[in-house]
Amino acid sequence: MPLPSEIYAVLEDIVGREYISAEPSILDSYAWMRANELRTKDRSGFFIRPEAVVLPGSSEEVQAIIRTCNRFKIKCKAFSTGWIVPAQPSVSGVISMDLRRLNRILEIDEKNMFAVIEPYVIGAQLQAEVMKLGLNCHIIGAGGGCSPLAAATSFIGNGADGIFMGYSSETLLAFEWVLPNGDILRTGSLGAGFGWSCGEGPGPSLRGIARGIMGASGAIGVFTKCAVKLAPWPGPAEINVEGTVPAYRTKLPDNFRAYTIAMPSWKAYADVCYKIYDAEIGYIIHRQFSMLGEDLSTAFFTLYMDPTKSLDDLEEFTQDPKIQRLADELRHYSFQIILAGMTLRDIDYQEKVLDQILGEVGGHRVADMSDPEKAQFVFLYLLKLHCKNLNHVYAGGKAQYFRPDGSPDYSVEYAPFMIELLRKHQQKGLLVKTGGDSLMSTISAIGGGGDFHLEQFVSYNLNDMESIEAARELAEEARKIAAEKMPGSSAALAGLTQDAMLAAIAASAQPIRYHWQWKIRQMLDPNGVGESAGYPTLKELPKL
Amino acid sequence: MALGDYRPTMRGCTRCSYCKFITLAHIKSSRFASGCPSIAYKSFQTYSAGGRLSAALSLLEGRTNYTHKFKEIVYQCQLCGLCDVACKLCRYDMDVLDTFRELRFKMVEDGQTLPQHASLIKKLHEIDCMSTQPLVDQGMWAQELEVTDLSEKPGSVLFHAGCESRSDNRMKKVARSAVTVLKNAGVDIGIMGKAEHCCGAKAYDMGYKSDFDRCAQNNLQAWTKAGVRTVVTSCSNCYFAFKRLYPKYAESNIEVLHTIEFIYRLLEEGKIRFSRDLPLTVTYHDPCHLGRMGEPYLPWDGVVSKVFGQIPKHVPSKPRYNGAWGVYEPPREILRSIPGLRLIEMERTKENAWCCGAGGGVNEAYPEFSLWTASERIEEAKSTKATALVSACLQCERNFMDAIRSNGDTMKVYDIVELVQLAS
Amino acid sequence: MADNKLELMQIVGVNNLFDDPATLDIFSKDYSFVPSRRPRMVVRPSDAAQVQSIIKWANQTATTLIPVSSGPPHFRGDTVPTVGGAVIVDLSRMKGLLSIDRRNRIAIIEPGLTYGELQAELAKEGLRLSTPLLPRRSKSVLSSLLEREPMITPKYQWSLMEPLRCLGLVWGDGSKMSTGEAGEYSSDNIKEQQKKHRSFVVGMGPNNVDYYRLVSAAQGTMGIITWASVKCELLPSIRKLFFVPSNDLQTLIDCAHKILKVRFGDELFILNGANLASVLSSSSDQFKSLQRQLPPWVLLIGIAGRDYLPHERVAFQEKDIYELVNRSGLEMTSTVHSAESNEVLEKLYNPSRETYWKLRYKGGCQDIFFITNLNKTPEFVATMHSTAEAFKYPEKDIGVYIQPLHQGVCCHCEFNLPYDPDSSEELTRAQALFAKASENISFGGGFFSRPYGIWADMVYNRDAATTIMLRKVKGLFDPNDVMNSGKLCF
Repeated sequence: MPLPSEIYAVLEDIVGREYISAEPSILDSYAWMRANELRTKDRSGFFIRPEAVVLPGSSEEVQAIIRTCNRFKIKCKAFSTGWIVPAQPSVSGVISMDLRRLNRILEIDEKNMFAVIEPYVIGAQLQAEVMKLGLNCHIIGAGGGCSPLAAATSFIGNGADGIFMGYSSETLLAFEWVLPNGDILRTGSLGAGFGWSCGEGPGPSLRGIARGIMGASGAIGVFTKCAVKLAPWPGPAEINVEGTVPAYRTKLPDNFRAYTIAMPSWKAYADVCYKIYDAEIGYIIHRQFSMLGEDLSTAFFTLYMDPTKSLDDLEEFTQDPKIQRLADELRHYSFQIILAGMTLRDIDYQEKVLDQILGEVGGHRVADMSDPEKAQFVFLYLLKLHCKNLNHVYAGGKAQYFRPDGSPDYSVEYAPFMIELLRKHQQKGLLVKTGGDSLMSTISAIGGGGDFHLEQFVSYNLNDMESIEAARELAEEARKIAAEKMPGSSAALAGLTQDAMLAAIAASAQPIRYHWQWKIRQMLDPNGVGESAGYPTLKELPKL
Repeated sequence: MALGDYRPTMRGCTRCSYCKFITLAHIKSSRFASGCPSIAYKSFQTYSAGGRLSAALSLLEGRTNYTHKFKEIVYQCQLCGLCDVACKLCRYDMDVLDTFRELRFKMVEDGQTLPQHASLIKKLHEIDCMSTQPLVDQGMWAQELEVTDLSEKPGSVLFHAGCESRSDNRMKKVARSAVTVLKNAGVDIGIMGKAEHCCGAKAYDMGYKSDFDRCAQNNLQAWTKAGVRTVVTSCSNCYFAFKRLYPKYAESNIEVLHTIEFIYRLLEEGKIRFSRDLPLTVTYHDPCHLGRMGEPYLPWDGVVSKVFGQIPKHVPSKPRYNGAWGVYEPPREILRSIPGLRLIEMERTKENAWCCGAGGGVNEAYPEFSLWTASERIEEAKSTKATALVSACLQCERNFMDAIRSNGDTMKVYDIVELVQLAS
Repeated sequence: MADNKLELMQIVGVNNLFDDPATLDIFSKDYSFVPSRRPRMVVRPSDAAQVQSIIKWANQTATTLIPVSSGPPHFRGDTVPTVGGAVIVDLSRMKGLLSIDRRNRIAIIEPGLTYGELQAELAKEGLRLSTPLLPRRSKSVLSSLLEREPMITPKYQWSLMEPLRCLGLVWGDGSKMSTGEAGEYSSDNIKEQQKKHRSFVVGMGPNNVDYYRLVSAAQGTMGIITWASVKCELLPSIRKLFFVPSNDLQTLIDCAHKILKVRFGDELFILNGANLASVLSSSSDQFKSLQRQLPPWVLLIGIAGRDYLPHERVAFQEKDIYELVNRSGLEMTSTVHSAESNEVLEKLYNPSRETYWKLRYKGGCQDIFFITNLNKTPEFVATMHSTAEAFKYPEKDIGVYIQPLHQGVCCHCEFNLPYDPDSSEELTRAQALFAKASENISFGGGFFSRPYGIWADMVYNRDAATTIMLRKVKGLFDPNDVMNSGKLCF
């Protein structure tokens, strides 16, 4: 249904003619999102077209748009880099607010180690600027092409550097929030005009209703500016990238190390996580490369590091005995660790501690991965997370299921089962046979350690209907098992219809949390202009 | 090929937004992070490569029709190829640039053209030239250079001037410098003079495939008749056409070199020596068609199967054209070997170079956008504190000069060959 | 009224309800300058079920409840009733240490547990908890964390909520809830969940709301917390403390920035000479003597070695920090005049001895504290001094405590104003100085993130949007305004 011309005219008055459109091809580019084929009836990548797209150029324009939506009772959904399904409208009748024009770094405070950014600053941009000052910023697992503001205010926030830099929410300081009713709230020290650096208070912290462990994915207003905490960066002011595309790498400075370590069992894997937390070492620690599968990953990354090779060489590489040996060494119980010494003495110490820890758990540094070119590749990769679209490298389709999230002991318990589940489904030949272990994880999502999850990567051919169906079948089985083993978790709720979702959350542990969310949402958004499937609510508590 | 053959690419877009930026690892500042002029200028998602892919799929699936806006979305793109490089960083199954070309071919077939493009095609038909400038008397650009006219007397090395040199007084000096330098190095160089045909690259970019085919045929026939074994050109657009497009459509054993490559070879052989100091601080702009699109054409005629369940495998291995093997180092080596000259790099270089703004028919149809793109590059050049911007493409240099004049800037623009001549 | 008292007795037991004048007097005032007001009763529940019943009762009877976890002396005015007929909910009976999980470094505590009690038990497991600067003996750990009191170890502050993680709480409307990751699983049986490797580590959430933030610095206005998980550090096997004295605060600030930027050291904070004298002295005379000897400013930095190569850690950090300090033109030492680092370290690792360290000099003390940035603290020191001068308050008596927070992003800046509470002249002067200095600090950009007493008006009057929203949030979780009514902006 086209947007009524009256509303279109009002919005055009706000943003200007060139920044609003209801042109079908433009709307379709906003209806497009990866993994949509898993949820659309015709397996198309197009989901729901928004009614119109607006591109505001300031917080004031955002506010005016939201007020317009309130006036006309029309929903609005804002997003910035938007590389995930919740960035899109999930129902029809929604105006998409593309925050692309809000792309400035407003301030970098070197001494107090924070930066103030707008929604469309990407991690790679912020990182480049702050590195010049001896600082670094948290880059989420989806990579440097994503928005730190969106991660901090509106979505999840795990990243490879989480152990040192914190979860996105832990880096969030004060922020500017256009509420669903069109008011502007500035949180923490910002509200009273005292700057950006304190995100809490005065008194009870209102950022508590803006996001929890997850953000609202656009359901409760628009975040137009925020301050993010930065972290020390003892490396060069500018990263000198060498190598021929795609095999980019960078030399490791003397005070850095890039290792892959391997342990003999899941128990030892969990043990090493705890010991690393206790020892307070590590700058970036991530189980990254296993995401492309225990049977293929080693071969793939070896060929990826050679610019003369392509995916056509993958089969041959998997047959190389040297690569097979390395794959076996890395199988299951390995991950990557970047050590960054603030000084040369520091790196020396950290390296010794790491070796001691490995000795205690029966682990070792994987010698082959310490080959200088490989180490340089790993270092650049994890520092920048600049090629995270490799998630989709094999056949375009990638999904993730059954995400146990908790302590290392909790999550590793699920690993054998997750591996078996994927292996079983891969045997049908309709999914990419990466091997059952395509588990990726951040060794700690939160600062200092403690929270660890495992994410199973499922590669499918998004141009093949049978492959898409196979991925959906796996998703459904994983969801059912999650409902049984991890009731109420996001894994248990994935892909449910609205009614099924309501039933599931009503039956979950502590359904009152969803009822509070309903109340909060009613309070913030009386006219219902926000839209998001990522903010589950329960209007009525189940009767006991 | 037909547009439908590129459906897998269109469906394959994951909306990662890498096509909007230079490869992320190379970002050195927030200011110069953008890689795609189109979305940087226009902002709607549809102006990015990913968005344009979804627009193309939308057309293919009948979800949208041709509209004025649709045409603008398609044609407001220089086809600079950065999106292709950025996408192929992680994906082996995507052919973004080829999809856009195919889309333009379809649009021209369907009559969805721009009047500015159509008038240039008319000029091509009439005078075999696609410059927007009035045509200087063909062949006059080489006056007094005493070069052989290969349309009259056979010769093995042909210098192809290109439409810009034949039309724009500012650019003919580049051609003259090139011929002079090569002659002085002992190369028996000839030209086609009045008989030079347009390379057809612009027609190709605009979507006029049959016109391009005709240009290719004309040139190949003329060269064969003249006994040409090596074609040299200073226009990167022509270089791209000869090196990458012509072999796709017709077999030829003719070696294609950019003037830069030839000079580099002659320097290595000691046939060019620099005897004069050139105290300049310069920065070098990688032309799209010499850099990331300067990879040679590699014929492929193979089959595709699936391995490991669903991974496509081409046998033999299919060439990627991901910008890895463009002509990046020879121009830099030349500049570094000029005495007194100091080369400072911009932030966006080689496969990540920001486009000059002129390509893809944009200069002709959207001059403001073209100049804006060039101005962005000039700002980047100025940020290096260099006093001169050097390149190896006539189209790039012309657009930079136009932008500098329009903005009142003082930066000088040179072609490498001019500096070589000055230093020799 | 008699019926109401009876209902409460039935909830907590007759021996746990007090309405005698002596008990009520204790809760009717504190060291702050808020007006004295007597509560009606004091009740001491023993568990969460009783707490919930009390809150439900309060909703039915429109009675204000004031949760109190720490023992006296109190200083902030938050536990003094603002309205009449209030009931103090004294949580000191709930002092269980429900669990210590060494592997995940999580302790689960009840509100009545004090630092001394907790640290003693944690030490047996090789753990300890980051602490504020010399908390008083009766200070409840939970209350300190809920009120976002600054910790002396900024490197562990991944957020200003640290080390607080999950909570069990009862909201002002009487509904019960667990927060953080505990909100995602049934948390009634902690041991049962721990057997399933649930660790109570993540404090955020559950889902899209950070409930623990809504009860932080809330002065008990949202609900009552019945248990909390806290993230512990490893107990050091080696500890060293160093002093970096300076005549000039700005130089010391620059030095602190350098150290924070490499995230070295453990404890890290700045005291002026007066406050260091307060920490070291046990009597007024001793304070005066030390005050004269100690340097104007001292940065204190602790370096600890734990399980892994502890000697090496301490050794290399000592060298590296020493070099950093030198680069600022300063020296790092193990003694500063009569102060020995071991002596100070011993104090820092334990709660304050009686008499509470801030009261030793004159018997009374007013604190002004706020959040700012480290580099702005010299301006505030100047503001404090000039305001004190206007009131003829001796500058040399003013204690200054500067605590970097959130790994250095901001800092807690605190001025301690000792006075003799038995001298009406000093009392009046202290009261006036407190008010004026607070006002000047607020105008100068000091952020009262924990707005006790008069600070509430100062900060909320500047931020209408926050005030409106807070009232709405309060309206959700405590619709009948039974929780510490009249505090903050409520």
